[in-house]
Amino acid sequence: MDRNQLTKWLKSPSNMGHKYSLDVVYFCTGCGIIEIPPSITARWDAERFGVKPVATPRQANLFLITGYVSVKTLKAIIRTYEQMQEPKFAVGFGSCPINGGMYWDSYNTVNHLDKYIPIDGWIAGCMPRPEAIFVAVTHLWTLIDKEIADGYKRYRDKYKYYRANQEKVLGELEWPPLFPEDDKK
Amino acid sequence: MNQELKKKINSSFPSAKISLPKEKRVVIEVNRDAVISVLSFLKNMGYEHLSMISCVDWIKEDEFELIYFLNAYMKNDEEYGEIEKSTILLKTRISRKKAKYITAIGIFASAEPYERELHELFGIYFEGHPRLTPLLLERVYEIPPFRKDFDTRKYVKEFFEEIPFVEDREEGKE
Repeated sequence: MDRNQLTKWLKSPSNMGHKYSLDVVYFCTGCGIIEIPPSITARWDAERFGVKPVATPRQANLFLITGYVSVKTLKAIIRTYEQMQEPKFAVGFGSCPINGGMYWDSYNTVNHLDKYIPIDGWIAGCMPRPEAIFVAVTHLWTLIDKEIADGYKRYRDKYKYYRANQEKVLGELEWPPLFPEDDKK
Repeated sequence: MNQELKKKINSSFPSAKISLPKEKRVVIEVNRDAVISVLSFLKNMGYEHLSMISCVDWIKEDEFELIYFLNAYMKNDEEYGEIEKSTILLKTRISRKKAKYITAIGIFASAEPYERELHELFGIYFEGHPRLTPLLLERVYEIPPFRKDFDTRKYVKEFFEEIPFVEDREEGKE
């Protein structure tokens, strides 16, 4: 163990635990998923950073959205994000989730993903190299240290507005609200 | 080799225009009334696989062009016999304003998803199709989105750009 980090471990062990055990649900929406096999296998070996893929969203705490988001995919993204346990972090991978990328003027591509779910960080590029994932992970560590990676808290507080945006695109949603209004009273 | 195929089709359908743009490719252009009979004729010849139905929007001529892709697959090369291994493109034109056509499910059952897709993306109604329900899209569009007169940039500006950021909603800027 790094002795310099000993104070951090004693101060907030849970934060340090979350930092070094990022279980990822890789959401293959587009071409971005092609960078994932090399990054989780021997060549780049993501497990050095504690990043490893898991079977279901219920075991995960990092959500990597790799590629453009169509209206149909948005529905699956929202359902996946809502199933994950807190604390959860969402990262957009590639330029398409940021602002539509090269598909911005399509009839079916959602342009800004952060209008519908909170995003903690973006990896820009088309495509980003696997190294960029690890740069993003180390950035995410500092964000967790400083407790700025609070997307899940924002989602809870402003759920009303996120839900309104989601309903504007998808029409009536089939599932009940994750945080009903009555709970807050 | 394809010349024999050309002769064979021309003897049964004299009005069909047949061209051979390159090796292993046959393009047949027929009237809209003859498509079903040509399809069944080709199926009896051994072209049993309908791999795709495509559509081109010729907006200046006010017509849709439907294209049926047919292939022949055999287990062994010897079984081909007289059949060529070429891909057949069967083309026909239908009116754009009255976008209505007959279904090919009776001959090729695999036509079902392709016709559903064309109904959704181009707005072509196929008579006799058992379920023309939405296949790919989640939203309802005023003009089917693959038609040439669907303005995607205008749609993006009027729809996706109009959705406010969450921070803006909070400040009441809606």
